Amino acid sequence: METRGPSGKAAAARRRAAGAHRRADRAEALAAQQEHFAEQTGQPIHLRIAATHRKAAASHRSSAHLQEAYAHRLESWQSPAGPPPPFMSVVADACGTGSAALALLGSDHSQLAVAASDDPSRAAQDLEYVLGEGPCRDAAAGRRRIIAAGPAIERRWPGYGPAVTALGFGEVVAVPLETPDGCLGSLAVFDPRPGIARSAVFTEITDALVRTVLLGPDADPELYGSTDHRDTVHQAAGMVSVQVPCPVEDALALIKAKAYADGVPVNEMARRIVHGKLRLA
Amino acid sequence: MTTPAQQIADVFVELSGGTAGTPLEVPELLATLARCSPGLLGVRAAGTVVALDDRAEPQVAGSEDGAQLLKQAALKWGEGPGTDSRRSGRPVPCIAFDGQVARQRWPRYAPRALELGYTRATAFPLRTGERSVGALVLLGSAADAPVSEEKAALAQSLADFAALTLMRDHELHASRALSSQLEYALNSRVIIEQAKGVLANRHSLTVDRAFALLRGHARAQRRLLSDVAHDVVEGRLDLG
Repeated sequence: METRGPSGKAAAARRRAAGAHRRADRAEALAAQQEHFAEQTGQPIHLRIAATHRKAAASHRSSAHLQEAYAHRLESWQSPAGPPPPFMSVVADACGTGSAALALLGSDHSQLAVAASDDPSRAAQDLEYVLGEGPCRDAAAGRRRIIAAGPAIERRWPGYGPAVTALGFGEVVAVPLETPDGCLGSLAVFDPRPGIARSAVFTEITDALVRTVLLGPDADPELYGSTDHRDTVHQAAGMVSVQVPCPVEDALALIKAKAYADGVPVNEMARRIVHGKLRLA
Repeated sequence: MTTPAQQIADVFVELSGGTAGTPLEVPELLATLARCSPGLLGVRAAGTVVALDDRAEPQVAGSEDGAQLLKQAALKWGEGPGTDSRRSGRPVPCIAFDGQVARQRWPRYAPRALELGYTRATAFPLRTGERSVGALVLLGSAADAPVSEEKAALAQSLADFAALTLMRDHELHASRALSSQLEYALNSRVIIEQAKGVLANRHSLTVDRAFALLRGHARAQRRLLSDVAHDVVEGRLDLG
């Protein structure tokens, strides 16, 4: 089966959408059955079970819509010269914006991988990575939704705030990607459609993302080939740790500091080091 | 006679893990369901069986020794109302063990049940949706009144509640395992890339050659790539 290239990817997304619709239908049928039992028996337990099924149905339905939108975007994509549109672009779209990014975080809330819908949201994730502060980290650490707009952004994050505002963003919303007893990372959305950040739609999108990334038959932490693990940055950190010499964590901090000071994206700074064009010793 | 609401509520609280609210593990939940059912539903004894997926070994519990023995026998023979209900996902209405139907359907189970002093059984599936993960079996003796329609509805509610609790627990374990696998994979990727950089710089290699060196060593030593990478990054291993 052809799954490489946009048309194969689109077909795969259509299949995932159909599967998610089936799961949503099934969950809705189960919810209806439980609501019927509740009526018959008068036992509130059935309403609680029904609510669980309804919640799962909403999340599957949201997944299906994201996959359909992704398939559509791949099918109508006209410029084979560049990379195909990333999955995150449809997540951003669902939130009424062009800019959304997902960060997978370690237990210390440091960024392990990132996926972004566009260059500005990607730059915002870079800022958070380099400066070690920002909405994704706070959302994951506090296990709660972070909403900041206007001057509050700069007040909240003295380093990240002014820099992300300079990218042109006026509002940021970050939500933890929670599993039943943990947290995979966060979704950050920039300048979302007014009102959406506090809505149920937003919750359904993040629930769907947890299923997309981790749980369920179609889960793929690579987000269908668009997750960046910052491999080059870690290679560069290994090299710098020999050049200095210093522990690899310190080498990584050096690379981040140099990238920030020079106003160069951290991945680009790392590429220069790996290709021998730059030594930080 | 209707069952007092407070008594019903207490059983649901106990199945939820008591007032502390700590979720019960599978064996505890099965035992609690079996123990609470006879008093609440007005039968001599109760047995429970659960198998969360096709690969899992079924687990059983009984409210008294006889019920426990009978559940184990049912499992061994693949017979009995609990087995039928678990497989079909439907309740098994009251069947007398000394009748023609029971003797034909359960040739080994029915006589054994009579031996243990049970005269009839009703079974309710532990439904989680399209399939059933187990069953609650109510065992009656000659002295018991038959299970009323109202008690049957209550029994099914108890079974459904237990099933939901079991599935939540199952999903929690699965999600926990997947999360830690993901974090492990992400972390090993970082350490492997770092090790490539260390080796590339130390021995003036391309990162691809550095990776070949790393992988070759791991294979030869039959060690995990990420463990070898860790040693390289920490300076405990040179691979010169």
